[in-house]
Amino acid sequence: MKKITQIITVLSLLVSFTFVQGQTKQEPWSSSQLMPPKQLADRIQQAKTLMPLIVNIGPQAVIKGSVDIGPADEKANLKKLETLLSKEDKNREVVLYCGCCPFDRCPNIRPAFSQIKKMGFKNAKLLDIPKNIKTDWIDKDYPVQ
Amino acid sequence: MISKMKQLPLIVFLTVLLYGIGGNLSAQQPLKIGSQAPEITLPSITGEQKSLSSMKGNLVLIDFWASWCAPCIQEQPELKRLYAKYHRPGSQSKNFEIFAVSLDSKRDAWQRAITKLGLPWTQVSDLKFWASPVAKTYQLEGIPFNAIIDEKGSIIALNLHGKELDQFLSDKVGK
Repeated sequence: MKKITQIITVLSLLVSFTFVQGQTKQEPWSSSQLMPPKQLADRIQQAKTLMPLIVNIGPQAVIKGSVDIGPADEKANLKKLETLLSKEDKNREVVLYCGCCPFDRCPNIRPAFSQIKKMGFKNAKLLDIPKNIKTDWIDKDYPVQ
Repeated sequence: MISKMKQLPLIVFLTVLLYGIGGNLSAQQPLKIGSQAPEITLPSITGEQKSLSSMKGNLVLIDFWASWCAPCIQEQPELKRLYAKYHRPGSQSKNFEIFAVSLDSKRDAWQRAITKLGLPWTQVSDLKFWASPVAKTYQLEGIPFNAIIDEKGSIIALNLHGKELDQFLSDKVGK
C-alpha cells in the first residue's frame, strides 16, 4: 500500500512539473524587452532622441524609417538580418517588429529575436503588437512610410 | 404665425429625412448576413482582372488571406479538402467555388505560396497589403477572414472555419 502511495506521489509530481513547464514556455525576450507601439511612435514623431534601428522581420516594412528584411521564418531572410546586424554596434538599440498576427501564432519573431540575442545585442527590443500591424499601428495613425 | 406653426412638422420631417440620407451616404454599412457582397475586381496571379460577380450562380467562399499570415497558411489544406469535396462544376447540385483575395504586397511571395500549397481556385490581389481598398470595403481587422455568398451574391455566412465551415457547406451544397 505504501509503495502504491509513493508511486502515485511521484507520478503526480511528474505531471505537475510537466504542466508548470508547459505553462511557463520560455520566450527568447523578457517583458522589459517589449516596446509599446506608442513609445516608438512618439520617438519617431519627436525625432529628438537618438533613433533605434527599426527592422521589419514580417510581411511589410510599414513603420516610418524601418528596414525591410522580410519574414524571419525564411532562412534567407534570417541571413539578411544577420548581415544587417553584423554592421551595427552591439550597443545600438534595435527594435524588431512583425505584426502579421498575434504573438502566439507568429512564426517570425522567435527566430529573429533568438538571432539578435545570439549576436550579443545588449539593447534589443521587440515591438509589442498584440493583434496585428493594422490595428496596432496603421489604424492608430502612427507614422508609416 | 399659425401657418408657420403648421409647417413645423413638415420641416422637422424633411430635416430628419435629409439627415438620414446624408448619414447613409457617408457612413459605411456594416458587413452583415443578408446584405449584398460588395463587388471585388482585382488582378489575378496572371494579371487579368477577375470579378467576384463573374462567379454568380455558385456558392462562393471569399477567402481573405496572405502568404505572410501563418494562420491563413495553416487553413489552406483544409480549404483544399473542402474544395475537393464540394466543387462540382456542371453537376445538377450547387457548385462551390473559392475566390481568394490576398493581402500580400510582394508578388513573388504570393506566387510561391500558391504554387507550394497547390491552390487550384481563383486568386486575386492588388498587392497593396492593408492599404488595399478591399480591406476597407470588407472591414477587415485581421486575417484569415471569410464570407460565403449565395448564387445571387448575398452574404449568407461570415468567418466560418474548420468543422463549422464543413457543416455549413454540407447543409448548403449537400454531401
